[in-house]
Amino acid sequence: MSNAAVFTSEFSRVFRFFLQELKPRGKWLTPFNVISIPIIIVGLVILYFRFVYGLGSVTNLNQEFPWGLWIGFDVVTGVAFAGGSYVVTFVVYVMRNDKYHSIVRVTVLNGLMAYVFYAGALVLDLGRPWHIVNPIIGNSFGYNSVLFLVSWHFLLYMIAMFVEFSPVIAEWAKLEKVRKFLSALTLGAVIFGITLSILHQSGLGALFLMAKPKIHPLWYSEFIPILFFVSSIYAGLAMIIFEGTISHKVFKDLIGDGNHKRNEEIVLGLAKGAAITMFVYYFFQALLFVHEQRWNLIHDFWGYWYLVEIIGFVLIPCCMFAYAVRNRNLGLIKVASVMALLGIILNRLNVSVIAFRWYAADHYYPSWQEIVVTLMVISVEIWVLRWIITRMPVLSKH
Amino acid sequence: MEFYTYVNIFETKGLEYLLLLSFLVLFILLVRYLSGYGKKGPDAGDKTSKTGH
Repeated sequence: MSNAAVFTSEFSRVFRFFLQELKPRGKWLTPFNVISIPIIIVGLVILYFRFVYGLGSVTNLNQEFPWGLWIGFDVVTGVAFAGGSYVVTFVVYVMRNDKYHSIVRVTVLNGLMAYVFYAGALVLDLGRPWHIVNPIIGNSFGYNSVLFLVSWHFLLYMIAMFVEFSPVIAEWAKLEKVRKFLSALTLGAVIFGITLSILHQSGLGALFLMAKPKIHPLWYSEFIPILFFVSSIYAGLAMIIFEGTISHKVFKDLIGDGNHKRNEEIVLGLAKGAAITMFVYYFFQALLFVHEQRWNLIHDFWGYWYLVEIIGFVLIPCCMFAYAVRNRNLGLIKVASVMALLGIILNRLNVSVIAFRWYAADHYYPSWQEIVVTLMVISVEIWVLRWIITRMPVLSKH
Repeated sequence: MEFYTYVNIFETKGLEYLLLLSFLVLFILLVRYLSGYGKKGPDAGDKTSKTGH
């Protein structure tokens, strides 16, 4: 048989296999489906109005508050949550720590999904979304813009993560030669991805450097890029713990007993990393507080709000992580991870939305449509994630 | 001619240096504290199993 005939028959086999896999499996009437399907339908209707009648028809955004929930939560917070991907691949492939090898696939998948959906949600927020390709195709590159860096990094990092995950797809499609080839690319993609991640996690913080007069001085600092980068490390670790907890309940059939036991040690290791990173982040904040002489700023509402964020959602979960690791208390680690994630949401929203133009008479509040679309993005991501995990060898080799 | 009657640690870098030194000390203590994890031994197994893992 000629090479062309072999290729054609292999292609048609993979295509038939893919169509077969598209068919739904399991029960339809699950609590998640019952809640998420109406949200997705309503969200799609809202998006129709957004693209036909513009941003103003469904959002509370205006010239004074051009960035709202879709940027503050979906993009800025979502990307921080995806930080676990570069942290774990660094530990496994660069530091050669095999202890975390079993969670690499699911972590990379989570990161890839987060970038595709949360960073992808950027399209919804652009007034002229068709201009999103401009930084890529060279139409007004904007070399001096931080957004130029961030947009290129998002694109390249999504490609790098896809390359990292592609051996799983090849394994699923039973393409052994392709899998071997793609596996050989993994280390290069990981190193490339880590470099990009460090730069664009801090780049997202650098976006706010130009808004100095608009951000409350308790949240503005010339070190925002470093704070965003350091906090993305523990945000990613906390997210892995949180998602792992849910995955072990929802996909318990796909995880062997051996993996359950190994998971305890993995969670303890991740929590240890989170405690150390949060400690470093807390001291960065303390040092900035003293360096920029913010003493006289903490006696009003914004000061108390700042202390809630830093003490309530950084220092306390940091201590909880440390205590829980020392005493092997997995329940406390899960609570601490949720608190750490809430702290990240609070911090990113404070910088981009809540403490942004804090002095203005009229404040921005997200409209119900913005909230529904955000929930829709999360729901669709979980649908796709579930489809991939139940079909591909992500949690364990099939 | 300027005179300095006292040293205000809030206006100088004094407090920042103190903070940094305390960070270094506390960081070592934290790492040592965390490195001792698992020392509780077999008793810890009971606590972890209660969490559903």
